[in-house]
Parts: sequence; structure tokens; C-alpha cells
Amino acid sequence: MDELYLDNIDEFVNDHDKIVTYKWLSLTLGVHVNTAKQMLYHYLDHKRKESSAPLHATYLVSGKFVDNGQTSHKVSVVKEDQLEDVKSKMSLIVSVHVYSVQKALLKDSGPLYGVDYDAVKDNLKNCSRYSAIRCASAVPRSSVELQQARHTQLAPAPEPEHKKSATNGDATPASKPSTKPQKGIMGMFANKSALKNQDSGKEVKSEQKEDAPVVDEPKSKPAAKANPMMNFFGTQAAKKPEKTVKQEEAAPSSSSAEQQRPSSQPEETHAAAAAPPKNSKKDSRSKTKRLEDSDSEEEKMDKKKRRRIKKPEPDSSDEDVIPDSPQQMETREASPSPKKKAEPVSQSHQGNCEMKMRKKRRVLKSRTFVDDEGCIVTEKGYESESYSEAEDDVPKDPIPAKRPASSKPDEKKSQKKASANSNKGTKQASIMGFFQKK
Amino acid sequence: MTTLTRQDLNFGQVVADILCEFLEVAIHLILYVREVYPSGIFQKRKKYNVPVQMSCHPELNQYIQDTLHCVKPLIEKNDAEKVVVVIMDKEHHPVERFVFEMSQPPLLSISSDTLLSHVEQLLRAFILKISVCDAVLNNNPPGCSFTVLVHTRDAATRNMEKVQVIKDFPWIVADEQEVHMQEPRLIPLKTMTSDIVKMQLYVEERAQKT
Repeated sequence: MDELYLDNIDEFVNDHDKIVTYKWLSLTLGVHVNTAKQMLYHYLDHKRKESSAPLHATYLVSGKFVDNGQTSHKVSVVKEDQLEDVKSKMSLIVSVHVYSVQKALLKDSGPLYGVDYDAVKDNLKNCSRYSAIRCASAVPRSSVELQQARHTQLAPAPEPEHKKSATNGDATPASKPSTKPQKGIMGMFANKSALKNQDSGKEVKSEQKEDAPVVDEPKSKPAAKANPMMNFFGTQAAKKPEKTVKQEEAAPSSSSAEQQRPSSQPEETHAAAAAPPKNSKKDSRSKTKRLEDSDSEEEKMDKKKRRRIKKPEPDSSDEDVIPDSPQQMETREASPSPKKKAEPVSQSHQGNCEMKMRKKRRVLKSRTFVDDEGCIVTEKGYESESYSEAEDDVPKDPIPAKRPASSKPDEKKSQKKASANSNKGTKQASIMGFFQKK
Repeated sequence: MTTLTRQDLNFGQVVADILCEFLEVAIHLILYVREVYPSGIFQKRKKYNVPVQMSCHPELNQYIQDTLHCVKPLIEKNDAEKVVVVIMDKEHHPVERFVFEMSQPPLLSISSDTLLSHVEQLLRAFILKISVCDAVLNNNPPGCSFTVLVHTRDAATRNMEKVQVIKDFPWIVADEQEVHMQEPRLIPLKTMTSDIVKMQLYVEERAQKT
């Protein structure tokens, strides 16, 4: 054992004021955990003999514990002053060792976890490199095996359409409710990254689930993909993967989007008869143009995920019935579609720049308003865009706005508030002019 | 990879949200660690994937939330230079001041997908540091209370006085007595630098506390 370890630990504890746990020490110095435990013990001993600055330690005690006649194996982390007490309560002590050494007296065990968190995260693949616990058959699954495992779990549970079935297929959907309490950006992005993983899994699956007679290969992919996802995860999850899928597909489809648009019309009507998730396919195909459609769905799921935006969906009553909403989207889209054809040229330009942003940020909302009530809402979206040549200030503001009907005054209000910190784009000049005249 | 600039998508709001969430957690943790309120009102919750202590008392929570809600617009515009959590003794003389100095680079741009997880890691380190600050600070006398001060650049507070962001929650210019401390001892705790914000946390402690 290197004799410098005493100095190292001294530096960590006294100079950096760190909490030194044995796990952290073993990962930092690259030694086996048992060595790390002994190092800490020696250090503590050494320092106590020198009687310099007070040090505190926590211990890990594990052993047999008899509780009302039931014996159990108990492992606990205890403060030094409770050590003897706990030891005496155990019927048989299997192991006692130093868990951590620190200068401060810890009031609760929270920071102990935090200390190890980053160290383990950095060494995720080999965090058990120095561990004393070994099992030869415990080997991480390869990605192929992972997909197969997801496969077999998803297949038998297509019927129940509520959230519970989501936990069947994947561990990650279960994490969504837990991330919801994380308000704001962090939770939002944690979810997005989780869903991206799901996408890759679903892609394999979708190819096997044949759905509807669709002409193009790339088109069938999102369609079939949407089907199992709609069923398993409900609107929220389904729309998120749709969104990420659309973004992935945006690049190849953008060039041919215009040609696809006319062809998408007859297919739309056909799809409307066929199955609910077809509209997602249509959306992804013409994503760069048909931003309103895709946005409304994305907005729905984004808004539901983000607790901060507690507004009822601007898409109004449809959201209550999950499977119906896509169908209604379709019928609506069929009617205002001729109108939309005129718009996409102007929108596509913004669509491109928005796409980049959408990936990182919450959805640009103004689009959603566009779609909901057919023509009227479409006009709204159009108008906001004509003001905003390159800026997205208008779209971003309606996040806090409420209903489509009242969204307009809210939009303008929130624009006014945001104008202080946002730069004065060209469109903003005109909108602000409206207010400053007061 | 996407590149966002401050102009896009109200980036200031994103940063302000992140910082205000962090400040809320930090304030709760300071109250717990420095024993300003009895530890019974605190409950373990999770933030940035580590356990933190948050208070369950509704009025205290509301007060902290309202305070930060008013501070948020200042952070958005990068007007808030320092946010200070002052712990005062019974006579309302400051005993300890936890100063969060923050500044945002003028040309903000994120160009990394891992930016937010990096920021999360840095904020986690702050939380950890607050948890162990006991080691370097003397104990506070009993019966302490706390308040939050904001030092702003220029005259940003003029707007705050004119417009009450939250009804019945006015902000007033702080007294000299609350701002200045006798014989302060400076103890730096942590600094962080990231693409979106630079933050520094230090504690000013009065040499004699009782």
C-alpha cells in the first residue's frame, strides 16, 4: 500500500472539506474497496491519536437482527455515537467498517449518496471493478438482447390502453411520472432522452407489425411505429416519440415534402378510415410544411409533461378521449388542407429554423393554435408568422397563454413582458408599436 | 447538435428557470443545515438525482416561492448580481450571509447536448457543499430568522417597486443594518463556470456570533 494515501485522505478531508466515503476513495485512488476501508480506518486512527481537528465518521454495520422473533439481515449506516448501540442490538455481527470520514457532523445521510453519485456515474461501466461482490453470471446485456427483451414484453400487452401497460414494455416510461415532480427544464430533458432510447427499440418492432397498405417505405415506419406506441403509452408518450421520429425523418423528407403533399391528401382520407395513428405518418411525411399539425400533437404531449404549464390543451375537448383525438385531427386536416397548401411555402422557412430549436426546447406554441379549430385557427398561425420573419418570440410566448380564443390577448400580453429581455426583432417592432401607442 | 443563442426562444427564461429552481433548493437546504427552523418540518426529497431536504411548512414554502418568483425577472435580464440569504439573530443583526453571485455571459449560446447534464452536475456539487458547510462555520445562536436580499445592477429595482409582480408581496430597499455585517469573515464555498452561467457561493460570517 502506498504510504501517500494518508496524505491524500488528509488533503481530501481537511483541505477540500469533502466527505470521503470508501467507495469514492476506491474509485478515486483505484484500489479495491477493502483496501479503501482499511485506509480510512488507519487514517482515522492516526488522526485521532494526533488529536487535531475533530473528525467525524460513519460506519456500516451489518449482521443478524432479531425483531419480534423474526430474524433478518440488517445493514445500516450509523453515526459514530450510535455505533456501539447498534452493535449491541444485533445478535450476530457480520461486518463493521468505516463508511465515510468527514470534518462536518452530518445531520442526515443525504450527502453520503450525493458523494458517490458522480463518482459512480463517471465509472458507470466498471463501477464494480474494485468491488468485493462478484457474480460470474451477472453480465450486462448486449443491445440485441435488450431489444429482444423489450420485444417479448411489449407483444403480449397491447390491449390495455392506459399508462399501466407502459411499464410492461419499458422501464423508461415508468420513470416519466417520477421525473414529473422535477419541475421545469430538467425533467423535460430527462424525459426526452429517455424517449429517444425507446425510439430505437420501437423501430425494430414496428417493422414487424404490419399495419396498413402504405406506399412508401419510410412512411410506413412512422405509421406502424405510432400504432404500438399509441396503444401502450397513451397520448403523451406516443406523441413524444412521434416528434423525435419526425425530426429524424425531417431531413430526408424535407426535399420531397412538396411532392408528397398532394399524394398525402388521398392517403389521408384513406388513412382516416383505416386506423387512428395514420395522421402521425402523414405528419411526419410533410413535417416541414405541416407544422401546425405536428405541433399541435407535440404541444399536447409537451404540455402534459410540463407541469409548469398547467394550461388545458388548446386543442380543446379532444384531448379527453385519447384515441379519438388523432382521428379528429385527421378530419380537420382534410378540410383546411387546401388552405394550408398556400401557407407552407412561408412556413417551411420558419419550420426549418424552428426544427432545430424544437429539439432543444419546448414546442413552439403558436402552431398549435393554428390547427385546432380549422380555418380560424389556421389564420391565427399565419398571421403570427408573417410578423415573425426569423424570430420565434411570438411562438414562444403563448406557452403561458390559455385558450385559443383568449390566446391572442394573452400572447400579446406575454410578448410585452418578454419584450424587455428579448431582442427587438423586426416583427417585434411592429407588435411593440401596438402597445407603446398606449 | 443545436445552437441556440440568447435571442432564440427566450433563452433567458430557460436560464432563469434553472437558477430559480436551484436557489429554491439551496435556500431550503441552508435553512435545514444551519438549523434556522427545527428539522422536523423538513422532508427528504429528490433533486438533481440526490436527496435534499425541503420544508413542508406551507407558509414558508410560499414565502420562498414568492421571493424567487420576483427575483426571476431580474435574473432573466441578467440584472441580478447577487442573491443573498441572510441569517439574522434575534436583534435582526446579520449573523451569516450566504452569497450567491451569478453572472451570465452576454453572448449566451448553448452548443452541446450534454450541457444540461453538465449544469446539473455542477449544481449537485453546490448542494453537496452546502450540506457540509457546518465544518467551516460556527454555530448560530438560537432564535434566528432569515431573509433574502437581492443586489442588482444599475437601477433594475426601480421597475420592481413600480410593478408588484406578486400582489401584497412588496420588495423594499434593504436597511443598512441588514446589509452590513460587523467584522465579516469570508469563507468561499464553491464556484462553477458553465456555458450558461457563472456562479459563486461564499459565506460571510460574523466573527462573534453571540
